[in-house]
Amino acid sequence: MGTRSATHHPASKRRDWAETVNGEASSEGARLSYEGPVPFGGETIHRWRLGNGLAVLVLVDTVAPVVAYHSWFRVGSRHERPGKTGLAHLFEHLMFGETENLKAGVFDRKLEESGAETNAATWVDWTYYHELLPADRVKLAVKLEAERMHRLVLREPQVASEKEVVANERRYRVEDDVEGLANELLYKTAFEKHPYRWPTIGWMQDIEGFTPEDCTAFYRTYYAPNNATLIVVGDVRERDLLLAIRDAYGSIPAQPIPAEDVFPEPPQTAERSIELTKPSASEKLLVAFKGPALGDADHTDLTVLSEVLFGGRASRLYRTLIVEKELAIDVRGWVSTFRDPGLYECWVTARGEHTAAEVLPLLDAAFARACDELVSEDELARAKARLELGSLQQLETASGKAEQIGFFETVLGDSTYAFRRVEAFRRTTASDLRRVARRYLQQASRTVLRVVPERAAPPGETAPGEAAPAASAASAAQ
Amino acid sequence: MSATARAAAPAQFTLEGGTLAFLEPSHDVPLVSFVVALRCGSAVDPDGQSGLARIATRMLRRGAEGLSSEQIDFRVDALGAEMAVDTSSSTVAIHAQVIARNVDPFVELLARLLASPTFPEDELERLKRETVAEIIEARDNDRVIAQKAMQRTFFEGHPYGRNAGGTTESVPRIGRDEVIAFYRRYFVRRNLVIGIAGDMTREHAERAARRLIAGLAEGTAAEDAVVEPKLRPGRRLLLVDKPERTQTQIIVGTMGTLPRDEDHVPLVVANAVFGGTFTSRLMREVRSKRGWSYGASARASIDRHRQAWTMGTFPAAADAGPCLALSVELMDAWIAGGVTPREVAFIQRYLVRSHAFDVDTAPKRLHQALDVELLDLPADYFGGWTQHVQRVTAASASEAVARRIVSENLLCVVVGTASEVLEPLRKAIPGLTEVNVVPFDAE
Repeated sequence: MGTRSATHHPASKRRDWAETVNGEASSEGARLSYEGPVPFGGETIHRWRLGNGLAVLVLVDTVAPVVAYHSWFRVGSRHERPGKTGLAHLFEHLMFGETENLKAGVFDRKLEESGAETNAATWVDWTYYHELLPADRVKLAVKLEAERMHRLVLREPQVASEKEVVANERRYRVEDDVEGLANELLYKTAFEKHPYRWPTIGWMQDIEGFTPEDCTAFYRTYYAPNNATLIVVGDVRERDLLLAIRDAYGSIPAQPIPAEDVFPEPPQTAERSIELTKPSASEKLLVAFKGPALGDADHTDLTVLSEVLFGGRASRLYRTLIVEKELAIDVRGWVSTFRDPGLYECWVTARGEHTAAEVLPLLDAAFARACDELVSEDELARAKARLELGSLQQLETASGKAEQIGFFETVLGDSTYAFRRVEAFRRTTASDLRRVARRYLQQASRTVLRVVPERAAPPGETAPGEAAPAASAASAAQ
Repeated sequence: MSATARAAAPAQFTLEGGTLAFLEPSHDVPLVSFVVALRCGSAVDPDGQSGLARIATRMLRRGAEGLSSEQIDFRVDALGAEMAVDTSSSTVAIHAQVIARNVDPFVELLARLLASPTFPEDELERLKRETVAEIIEARDNDRVIAQKAMQRTFFEGHPYGRNAGGTTESVPRIGRDEVIAFYRRYFVRRNLVIGIAGDMTREHAERAARRLIAGLAEGTAAEDAVVEPKLRPGRRLLLVDKPERTQTQIIVGTMGTLPRDEDHVPLVVANAVFGGTFTSRLMREVRSKRGWSYGASARASIDRHRQAWTMGTFPAAADAGPCLALSVELMDAWIAGGVTPREVAFIQRYLVRSHAFDVDTAPKRLHQALDVELLDLPADYFGGWTQHVQRVTAASASEAVARRIVSENLLCVVVGTASEVLEPLRKAIPGLTEVNVVPFDAE
């Protein structure tokens, strides 16, 4: 990275400055402490913390007069419970609403008036809110984010209206989207204990049942400074920014974050299989093995193996299924990037009248080969080059950098893991790939989901849109 | 480099034989982006052979002198590169990106693909089968279905109505002779525009640009024979019937703007007030107040010739009729009443200040320069954008809407399940003159 960063203040000077400004702090919660520099490629992240526990990571990047301001919270759908699924995501929507000092709609209008872009995202392990602002407007984001972290107002009409919006989002992403529906069913089938079994957007009946009281309780439990990290990347004056953050957030009290009540997923001992009948252009096959957690050393090795198998036009399964046999139109592999062990998902879209039954033996042969043989040095080098390209592409903008920092900080507690991951990719050997193939590509620990176009369903067997266990594997899933 | 210097336009120069090149060095990330664009797109596809421009360009990586398709794929991946073809009515472009340390071997490879493609017959047949399968697969995506239906119906009989990707009928008709003829006619120096952005010096990038065109004939630039499109009069409803939809995809369109119109920027400003932001009129009424649709937006598209103005929502099937009625009502009120000085002042601040994000990376700055050239935009379209926006008044914006957005000539395209939504939709549009229902796999 050729970006200039604020390295002109060594650590001791930052600590001295913090001590100076702490003399004027209004409360213990507003005291700033400097936790040190962290190298981020050729740049430097400076870690700060307020007395109320709020972590602040600053990366000064002057290549463009813009600032990315991210607020990451360590709460996602894994913190929900059955009957209340989708609450973290609904709440993300509500965070754009009324606060004690801002009427409904004013949050967005103020940001738009400053030329800012804003949005948010929720997944299993986290929720984050982001703004991209012209550099001279960063203090607006500080003020607005501090306001909604502590002073959100939740009333029945807004909750009711936003439930409708989320229900429509669910229709768009799941009910009327074959891939979304298949993915939801996959996780519901593959996980029996762990909260990863329910969708982040929530089951429709749960969405419809939320009350303002549910939302308020969730807010009071998880939206606290000691459960959040601010990431600021861009053309900022670090000290001015920190003083603004101290003044805006310092009075927000820390609160006890409840201990997680999550059951580890028990080992899967038999293959699970399910069919989904929907109006669709073609059959789809989803084979998902139980995979490693993001922080597991195996995760990088399995990611490289997945690239050998599915990444790019030179990958093994692209060549076999799309080019040579012409059985498929799309092949993809992805190792879930979750805090706890997730899935290694392999997705194939069959072509025309070809079927998942034709595809599965070829997938199995590729998995068996990965377990039996070492991949060639050429294949390994191609996979690594593609992964390096993908990693660099994520660092092209201030927002991209902030997202990488926030994601790895929130999931793994390591803001620089994006770079350590690239280093790990470089170290991976063919032997590592065979080892993880043997460890994870186990038939007994996988779930196989087949999407059958409605036209191909045997009459009277499966009602449209319903999922049914495949006969061959129904007993194995008990 | 300072932020101010960053906002300057990319360096532009003409290579031997008439190729225009844009260079935007930037050393922020060790990546280099390439664009090799033709001064013509799917609008030059012959009748009955829509998809030719895209197929011919995709064929470049399916075989070159001394390299098979497989060898090319292996080499691209080994270099840490990726390549894609993007086709629109007015241009076909190869977009590529590569890790900076491999830029020279990648330029050699790309130059070879451009200069010496072999167009193997078996690879062409394979690509055509693949393309047909992709077209069929896209029918799983309701939004894509709606967009395609809007394009072919709105511009019926006009080159802009052709699907740039082709159809299941047109693609099989494309033969090797047509592909070669397309390549020989259009992959010539005078018809190419090259862009390079990223981690290279200007001198290095200039050498790369020259190398890319080294094996190409001079030729002539494509002539723009496209006539101005016209929209059929009346208010029409096209329902694309797809079973088991819980939701609908709605696009409403009428004829829009041309970048060289005197009232183009005022119309863009007025459109932003109506449906260009999260707090716009459309979003506020449809999503924030009623929760009817996850998204609601309006768009004034641009091209070399006049394009459609559209607004889109995706409400639940039960809300489709009321949502469409409300959208049309809001549009009519916008046309009749215009926009207020307060709304214009607000959106001007948004458009001017958010301009920083249009130019914050080298590839974005490069693409603006390419758009000016390929879409025949006024030279200061992007460079003078903030000044253009600041000159707009509520009166000029309101006049632009009243003049350009003709509510009497409206095409409403809806993807949904006809048995549930047809009647409510029919009632939603006052003065409806025509209703058609087509299956979702219609092309």
